[in-house]
Amino acid sequence: MQKTTNKTRVFILLILSMLTLLSGCEFKDIDKVTFISMIGIDQSDNSDKPFKVTVKLYVPTSSFKQSPKPQYAYLTENGETLSEAIRLLETHSDKKLDFGHAKLVIIGEELLKANKEKEILDLLIRRPDIQLISWVAIGRPNAEEIIKMVPKSETAAYPAIFNYFDDNGTESPYSVSTFLFDFRRRMVESGIDAILPIIEMEQEESQFKINKAYILADGKKPHELSSHNTMLYNLLSMNIDIGDLIVNEEGHSFIAKIDTIKSKYKVKVQNDNQVRLDLDIKLFGYVSESKQSMQTKSLPKYNQLLEAEAKKSITDFFTEMLEAGYDPLGFGLKYKATTLPNQRMSMEEWQDAYKNAEINLNITSGLKSTGTIQ
Amino acid sequence: MSSQEMLRWINEQFKGTNQLTEKTLDYENKYIVLFYVKSMIDKALLQKIIIKPFFEMANEHQLRSYLLALPQFQKVESKEQLLFEITNGYTLVVIQDDLFLFDLKLSKNDQVNTTTVETTIHGSQLALSDNLLTNINVIRSTYHEPSLVTEFFTKGGANKQKVAMIYDKEKVNKDVLNIIRKRLQSVDKQVISATTQLNNFLNNKRFSLFPQMIMTERPDRIIYNIAGGKVILLEDGNPQSLAAPVVFFDFMTTMEDNYHTLLVSIFLKTLRYVGLFISLLLPGLYVGVTSYSPEVFRTELALTVAGSRIGVPFSSFVEVLFMLFFMELLLEASIRLPKVVSATATTVGGLILGTAVTEASLSSNIMVIIVSAVAISTFVIPVNEMAFSIRIVRFLLLVIASLFGLAGLALGLFVLIMYLVSISSFGEPYLRFYNFQKQKERTEEHI
Repeated sequence: MQKTTNKTRVFILLILSMLTLLSGCEFKDIDKVTFISMIGIDQSDNSDKPFKVTVKLYVPTSSFKQSPKPQYAYLTENGETLSEAIRLLETHSDKKLDFGHAKLVIIGEELLKANKEKEILDLLIRRPDIQLISWVAIGRPNAEEIIKMVPKSETAAYPAIFNYFDDNGTESPYSVSTFLFDFRRRMVESGIDAILPIIEMEQEESQFKINKAYILADGKKPHELSSHNTMLYNLLSMNIDIGDLIVNEEGHSFIAKIDTIKSKYKVKVQNDNQVRLDLDIKLFGYVSESKQSMQTKSLPKYNQLLEAEAKKSITDFFTEMLEAGYDPLGFGLKYKATTLPNQRMSMEEWQDAYKNAEINLNITSGLKSTGTIQ
Repeated sequence: MSSQEMLRWINEQFKGTNQLTEKTLDYENKYIVLFYVKSMIDKALLQKIIIKPFFEMANEHQLRSYLLALPQFQKVESKEQLLFEITNGYTLVVIQDDLFLFDLKLSKNDQVNTTTVETTIHGSQLALSDNLLTNINVIRSTYHEPSLVTEFFTKGGANKQKVAMIYDKEKVNKDVLNIIRKRLQSVDKQVISATTQLNNFLNNKRFSLFPQMIMTERPDRIIYNIAGGKVILLEDGNPQSLAAPVVFFDFMTTMEDNYHTLLVSIFLKTLRYVGLFISLLLPGLYVGVTSYSPEVFRTELALTVAGSRIGVPFSSFVEVLFMLFFMELLLEASIRLPKVVSATATTVGGLILGTAVTEASLSSNIMVIIVSAVAISTFVIPVNEMAFSIRIVRFLLLVIASLFGLAGLALGLFVLIMYLVSISSFGEPYLRFYNFQKQKERTEEHI
């Protein structure tokens, strides 16, 4: 008896130790996985299969030192739904497609105009391996072309386009960057509207250009922001502290480089649901370029000029926003958050009130220097 | 029992061996007989303090007073004690019918060693010696408290080694002292040849992974532990001592921590704990991340790892096991090998194997880096015993990570912590971070 139990024990131990050498189903070696660097979603010509998904795959090399040129593979597939397209994409690849490293989702402009962004959003949010911290952008003219373009300055393993969005590379006041989770929040939440950057290509197809943005709201046509307005949005939302304001008045012509901005927004509701937006903005910076020689002692004068210019620009920006009924800065959310439910107007009423809102702009500018030493 | 009978009995015990030497001195109506084991005694000393005076003394009475005054003198209490002391290097002197014992033991092992296991830059470079009495001398001469107590036990059925238990009777933890004394008395082994064996005999467990007592060869550490209320165990013929009870964090401290400036020692301690976690987790992390959740890596790193694994025939955990196994072999080999050969072993193992394995693409470059990082960080753990335990735990965590991924690794670490919390060293919690009880007592004393 003792002997048999010992034998079984040894057997079980042996089997167990051999089992550890077998890999399970969940176990997938990293060299059997292809990483997707970005996803592009377009509208296809086929009306049965309206979604066209393009993915950019990293091609691994054993040493980036030996092959510093970027290498990518592309897969494209149409589908009735996004999931179908992705399922079909998997049949194109010998390795497991892994969305874990996809940092960017590009939505084609046409798809956006067809108001399909909500459908897309659902899959992007639900699929567990798509990171909520990936960026979302609009591709112009479409996502596929943007995805397939590899700029000359690109190095291996890190697509150049990511540098526009993360804070490590370029930090331009003209480009907004929106995370997927933020995009969803702004789409779902009433009182704040989503904003997505537009990726364009330069004529010679060697560089990207990201200096415009779309504002999206549920059930509305997307509204395109000009470069100047994109910069103003960035300044006002305090995403980025830097920005340039061109002052061209009273014979003075200079560019103020803003390096710090402090703003306070308040929503005041007066009688008859008349909304007043109180904006208190403080701008700090210095003069970065001027056509005339500038005197330090006349800084107060320059400040006045800058204030006037900023007031004009910002008022223009808000007028445009109010007319179109878009609210990228989230005044509606602020109103919702600071008013008790029983005293609050409904969202429809708010929309009307917002469109007719009065803007009370108060700008203080503090230029610190003329940028030169006298 | 008369002295004559005792002598006859002793002679009988040594019958058939040519160990016992009997020497009769007879000069000018003085008559004594000496019994000793020739190989155990200091002959020069015997000549100087017993034989020479014998011929110079006027009469037997004076000789007897002289012998009684010698510091080496010891009374005879029983025949067993007599036999034991003779085998232990004592000399028996018979004057008329009286028996006197003299400690003329010759010790060749009472030289104090230099530290070899716990080397430091600051502090004393001297360790313990192989001789128990020298060791006690070393301890006493650096701990000048009258409350220092030394208790002796004789352990080992066959080799009858002397074991000393040293503690400060005012500072010692009484409960621990009682447990150790009780367990020490109940130890029943034929041969006990090293102090560290007691670690196994005293913990009352068949399988134990973590050491319950801390081994040290540094007198400063022993003093530090005695002053902290611990019990020290020493065995004759052994340059190592054991201190109990211990907490896990004792194994992560070196004596040097007290000798450096505060910020330096905090830095060194941080370094050590980081090393501990690297050596525990890195192999598991590699398998968990590469095979279950590669999105944890930075993109560049994921691609580099994927690229360097091109052509490697094994899956990641076999690769890790394979490399770790060779690392362990190398470690073990370099301990056992004679010093002359061990340099060659490290060169062959570390350099040639490392590069050849990647050349032959049996393992990825990154794997070699990980294995070396693990090997180096294992050496950072200051107390050797703990480093051995960590090496085993590492394999367990690796297996869990290969089966259940990163979640498994996290859970495995959690289980390890739970295990450490559950065990105790002689009644004291093993993973105690801070002794609230002691702090409370201390503040109460102040009030």
